[in-house]
Order: sequence, then C-alpha cells, then structure tokens
Amino acid sequence: MDALIFVLILATLMAMWRGKRRLAGLLFAVSLVAVWMLFKHHATDALPINL
Amino acid sequence: MTLFRLCIAITCILATCAVLLGALWAQFGQGEFPCPLCIIQRMAMMLAALGPAWLLCRAARGPVDAHDFAQCYACSILAALVGGTVSARQVLLHIAPGDPGYGAPMFGMHLYTWAFVVFVVVVLASAMQMLFLPKRSEAPRVGLGARLSVLLLGAIIAVNAVAVFVESGFHWYLPDNPTSNRLIEELRSEVSEPSAGERESGVEQP
Repeated sequence: MDALIFVLILATLMAMWRGKRRLAGLLFAVSLVAVWMLFKHHATDALPINL
Repeated sequence: MTLFRLCIAITCILATCAVLLGALWAQFGQGEFPCPLCIIQRMAMMLAALGPAWLLCRAARGPVDAHDFAQCYACSILAALVGGTVSARQVLLHIAPGDPGYGAPMFGMHLYTWAFVVFVVVVLASAMQMLFLPKRSEAPRVGLGARLSVLLLGAIIAVNAVAVFVESGFHWYLPDNPTSNRLIEELRSEVSEPSAGERESGVEQP
C-alpha cells in the first residue's frame, strides 16, 4: 500500500510536469486522502497522556 | 520580484529534498528501519513540496497569476496539516517520561519531532507567500535550476517507493516496528526452502 501511494505521488508530479492541471489536481487530492486513510489505519494505539 | 518568487519556490523544494535525503541517510546509512508513521510523514512532505513544484511547472509553460500561486501553496498547506497531525501524534506517542522514543535522535531531536518543525515551517512559508500574491500575471523564465529541483524531488519519490517496497515485501501494510527488509527475507526463505518436488525426490539441501 505504501509503495502504491508513493507511485501515486510520483504520477501526480509527472502530471504537473506535463501540464495536465485537472489530472494533477485530482491525483493530488487522491494522494492526500490515501495518506490520511493510511494514517487512520495505523493510528490505533491510545496515547499515553492523561489530560 | 518574479525571480525572487521563483527562488523561494526552488528553496522550498530543495529544503524538503534535504530533509528527505536526511531520512534516507538515517535509513540506509545508520540502518534504521522507518516505521509506518515515519513513511506517512515522508509522503506528506513530498505532497507539501509538490505545491511549489506545481508552481514551477506552471511557470515553465506560461504566465502565472495570483490564482496559480494561491492554488499551489494551498496544496502545500493542506499536505503540511496532514503531515503535522501525523508527526504530532507520533510525538505524543513517545512523550511519556522514560520513553526513549523511536529511533536515534538527530541534532538533539527525533526525526518525527523535526518533521513537525518542518510542517510548521511549510505552513508559515506558504502563508507568507499567499500574503504577497502578485497583482498581475507574471511570466518568469524558468531555468535549469528549477527543472533540476523538480527532477530531484521526483527521483527522491521514486527511491522511496522502491525502498518501502523492499521493506514491506508483498504485504499491504508495514509492521508497527519493522526490524528487517521483508522482501529480501522472503526471497531468501524462498530460495533456502526446498520445493515440494525436491522434497519428494529426496534431493538434499545444503
């Protein structure tokens, strides 16, 4: 999954390089959401703080 | 002024690349395996660097205006907010007294603490850029330095993709505390384990 997201980010950069604005914007949004979902998957432990 | 804005965009990309290269040095030079949260912070840093990279790519194709600047730096701020949340969580995970933290500290702080500082700086720098947006469209001349900085960012992303694939192997997710490169381990075990046919025919394994 992690490697796929890196590939997605690389594809975003390539779309930017080739001047495809809509595709670049879409890929950026998908990458950002994918990163956030991956974070949500890994963030399972309770924090050791007592507020 | 146009050249100044371009220099700031190049500086933002190169600064992020320097941090990412430092993380790669810690991984391969010091033998520290990055945890899943470290990898996510790298992704967010790359996404934050894509903002100024997008600006340079747009400037290379024609005049850029305030809308272009705002859109690109807004992307950086969004990515930095995600990355800052991840690094803040990792700081809080290891904030309890007696917790040694994950990995060795570098220049007095752990890498995830440095990452939090980087994300705060990205938000501040992007906000400063958006404060002083150009009033008219500008047609800056994008030189070799700008193109090389974008290519360097692309190369670092590609290296990270390969490195994380080697670390995770053919698994969807990284383990919470990785201690080895799973792909290499799995390939070694495939080679050392006898196949079913060899076992039946009694071929002796070294």
